Amino acid sequence: MTDLHPICALGATQPQTRRFGPLTLAENSELALASVALRRDAASPDLPQPVPGEWQAAGDIAAFWTGPDQWMVEGPGLAATDFAAQIAARAPGCSVTEQTDGFVAFEITSTTGPGPIRALLEKLVNVDAHRFTAGHATRTGFHHMSVFVIRRADDRLALIGMRSAAGTIWHALTDAAEQLEVMA
Amino acid sequence: MLIPHPLLGLRDAEEFTYLGDARLLDRPDGMAEGAAAAFYEYVHLRDNPAGVHRELWFHEQGDRSWLVVTRNTVTHEILGAELARNVKGGAA
Repeated sequence: MTDLHPICALGATQPQTRRFGPLTLAENSELALASVALRRDAASPDLPQPVPGEWQAAGDIAAFWTGPDQWMVEGPGLAATDFAAQIAARAPGCSVTEQTDGFVAFEITSTTGPGPIRALLEKLVNVDAHRFTAGHATRTGFHHMSVFVIRRADDRLALIGMRSAAGTIWHALTDAAEQLEVMA
Repeated sequence: MLIPHPLLGLRDAEEFTYLGDARLLDRPDGMAEGAAAAFYEYVHLRDNPAGVHRELWFHEQGDRSWLVVTRNTVTHEILGAELARNVKGGAA
């Protein structure tokens, strides 16, 4: 019989973590994702519905805006559960699609406040780092790919990208963080 | 070049891909009388103005919405942007 071992997006059995000065970069293999789209004339779902460009946590889940009447819902620590079914139960009449295994999430934390996060943002993506404060989320270009960038808090940033490109994203992230550490 | 996205504010034009004349939104009725001639015009005939032009842009590296951007083709000045779903909705 085939013996199957679950692995993380970066290929190891455990998620990767690296530290560069005040910044810690970590692969988050526990994050469940489901997309929610409103149908025309559908009832409003029992979910956080942040406005364009924003991210909002509510209880054990969070959501960020991905397009007109569309959101991505996050379930921290719920990757091993049937997350889409849980969300669908709270969003009758909406289109809910499981997204967990299509994406890879990286969490970046700073031990010295917002400064290093802002410096990294400036290196990584074409968004205004000073206006991209806590609670903002957007999809933008990153190394010829598209990623979701979420500012979870002043000292926390998340990057969610295509799972098949996990290694490329991780390389780009660690490269940028390493350069910042060298410059500091 | 920055495009004033109606929902997300100023975004770099690099995040967008360009399609063409916004008249592409007005697709003729294929079942109507004279559909062949209407489609010939729809597919092949375009104005090519030196000046203000309404065109379709896709926010590919963003929220994936289609925008109708009004642009001056001579100066590249962007005069406005609206969601194509609203433009189309208004026309229907």
